[in-house]
Amino acid sequence: MQTPQDSTRPSRLSTPSGSRESRRHTPKADMRGLYQRAIHDSFVKLDPRTEAKNPVMFVVWVGTIVTFLVTIDPNLFGTVQADPGQQRLLNGVITFILFFTLVFANFAEAVAEGRGKAQADALRSTRSDTVARKLLADGSVQEVSSTALRKGDRVKVVAGDMIPADGEVVTGVAAVDESAITGESAPVLKQPGTDIASSVTGGTRILSDELIINVTSDPGQGFIDRMIALVEGAERSKTPNEIALTVLLSVLTLVFLIVVATVSPLANYVQAPTTIAILVSLLVALIPTTIGGLLSAIGIAGMDRVAQFNVIATSGRAVEACGDVGTLVLDKTGTITLGNRLADEFIPVNGHSLEEMSQICLAASVFDETPEGRSIVWLAEKNGAEVDFKTDDAEGLEFSARTRMSGTNLPDGREARKGAVDAIRGFVRSRGGKVPSQLDEAYERVSRLGGTPLAACLNDDIYGVIYLKDIVKPGLRERFDQLRRMGVKTIMLTGDNRITASVIAQEAGVDDFIAEATPEDKIDVIRKEQSEGKLVAMTGDGTNDAPALAQANVGVAMNSGTQAAKEAANMVDLDSDPTKLIDLVTIGKQLLITRGALTTFSIANDIAKYFAIIPTIFAAAGIGALNIMGLKSPQSAIISALIYNALIIPALIPLALKGVQFRPLTADQLLRRNILIYGVGGVVAPFIAIKIIDLIIPFS
Amino acid sequence: MKLIHLPHIPKQTQIIETVAEIWSEWRRQKLPLYLFLGLCFNLVLAPAVFAATGGEFSRTQAYWLAALGLVTIALAIYLFFVMFVPEKF
Repeated sequence: MQTPQDSTRPSRLSTPSGSRESRRHTPKADMRGLYQRAIHDSFVKLDPRTEAKNPVMFVVWVGTIVTFLVTIDPNLFGTVQADPGQQRLLNGVITFILFFTLVFANFAEAVAEGRGKAQADALRSTRSDTVARKLLADGSVQEVSSTALRKGDRVKVVAGDMIPADGEVVTGVAAVDESAITGESAPVLKQPGTDIASSVTGGTRILSDELIINVTSDPGQGFIDRMIALVEGAERSKTPNEIALTVLLSVLTLVFLIVVATVSPLANYVQAPTTIAILVSLLVALIPTTIGGLLSAIGIAGMDRVAQFNVIATSGRAVEACGDVGTLVLDKTGTITLGNRLADEFIPVNGHSLEEMSQICLAASVFDETPEGRSIVWLAEKNGAEVDFKTDDAEGLEFSARTRMSGTNLPDGREARKGAVDAIRGFVRSRGGKVPSQLDEAYERVSRLGGTPLAACLNDDIYGVIYLKDIVKPGLRERFDQLRRMGVKTIMLTGDNRITASVIAQEAGVDDFIAEATPEDKIDVIRKEQSEGKLVAMTGDGTNDAPALAQANVGVAMNSGTQAAKEAANMVDLDSDPTKLIDLVTIGKQLLITRGALTTFSIANDIAKYFAIIPTIFAAAGIGALNIMGLKSPQSAIISALIYNALIIPALIPLALKGVQFRPLTADQLLRRNILIYGVGGVVAPFIAIKIIDLIIPFS
Repeated sequence: MKLIHLPHIPKQTQIIETVAEIWSEWRRQKLPLYLFLGLCFNLVLAPAVFAATGGEFSRTQAYWLAALGLVTIALAIYLFFVMFVPEKF
């Protein structure tokens, strides 16, 4: 039996302290050969059908073809003034640089995709075609392939077997190794009829005993299959922010295309004729190739960061929504406080002694297998109580949300109950008993300590109040302070009374709380926040959480939860750690900040490239004074700008994949900071880099 | 080794089969068709470019310049398409 001391020891998963990095899972995927594969894929992606999916890079692709043609024949689109040999060399260099601009952009995407594919391969290796013992209607067992199983079939699995498909446990209790999907080596107990331990996942292995499982998914539709499809990017569709950015980039590209296409007559008019290769170079330098090349890599890397936290997102949209979340709805138990509340003290009332109360508490909890119930049994036995009836003849009553109490019907007909003080008060009155005034004093005392008061009674006689101690997880207050600074409101939901809830809420530092909450309250609070225009995130594991998970903009289901909860949510946490919701919000914000920062940087770069190319091209028209960088020649200026344009893409790949470092600042502070670093930096950096490249390259 | 003589297929049948195959492929793969039609249209456009430039360019240069103009217009149409249906890209 688990002792309270054991229970108080915080489990690895339930402690939110420590940095986010320290809690990141080591990827189980095999990343060897990632870069070789990415190099190969970056050339494969040069296929125009693939390139056409990225409008900015497709324009570069067409430009590369055009410059390649003028490399073969410099006079193809008109006779050039310069020496054809020199012109061919310049055009060749431009083609070469443009080609590698495309390859580098493809490389960024291929590296991000490669990580997802490696994770998918690791998952695929856990999925194999196994032989399942299918239970037939007449009770006999038939051995079939796991691929032949269908929704509704029942299978029997024994120790050592691979579970053939996703399902719900119908009968049996067994330890299951879920390390294949969660990375957690400790076995998980599976049993029927509970919200949090009855679902099993195909591909995991049963370690002891046996289970009868009701299959809940058809072949190819299981949890691991969906995970593979998601991490591989097969189901990746553009998020609303990505769509908005794609439109913006297309508008910019179209504007610059029209500008460059009309430059040639203007250049001829001012007696400064240009070549097609130089016009293509000008176009490529002006369009936002940096963000165009990194855009999909940023999105894929965001999904990857979520996966590294052992969370499976059903779409990029869900990850992105995390970044825009305005309200977090959190359960108290397991999220804000450690999951197991423990009996700390018995407070007798109504003239009863501690021994008498301990005896009743023991009788009321003897069938209670919850950690709370076991801790009450442990404390009662410590106080000298013993079971003085035949347990075989007694009947245990489970706790329910409706009755809000549990207990035991003793063999002699007496009823021992423990539960919420209001519920016990009602129970005692219904049996003709009276409620002593001391009960309220004990209730308030426990509540003011932030504990959960439970009353215990025998028939119509109240014996006292059990003090269940709640422990707020360490480090949460700081996390909530960070969220508040970012403008995220936190709401705690608890079934506890108002006094207890307010004490815990104050200790944890949440913005608001709802006491004595029912499952219906969850959905109401979500709707209320959404009506104020906020995006809401919440976690849940039970079937009764499913409607609220579906209603929330970001619903995170626990992997240990029911199938209904997992299907309603748009994210599944494989570690079943509700605190991770806070990490997901920061990952989502990091994704949005990274995309915004690189877009700012890319567009700011244009200013420097514009000043590098335009004055040198039109020097003959008398605007040479604008050549503030003092670049050697038009050829050198163009080559320098293009080399910078190409090299900045691979230089920013690590930032795109890792994300801009997250800081818990307000939206205004973040904007100021990003404009300073990526806006001003995006203007200054290319000036310096282009000048250095101009000094290095031999063109004059 | 024994030689196997394939039945003789009349030339007309072969031509019809080839045309039918190209036709079915065109219906499946639109890009080559559009490229072909674009190049055909350029045969009309190129003389106009040649005439407009007053002999500054050779016929070949005029043809390629007109093709470049068509590519630019096609790119502009493509970018407009991306703007209106961005979720497809």
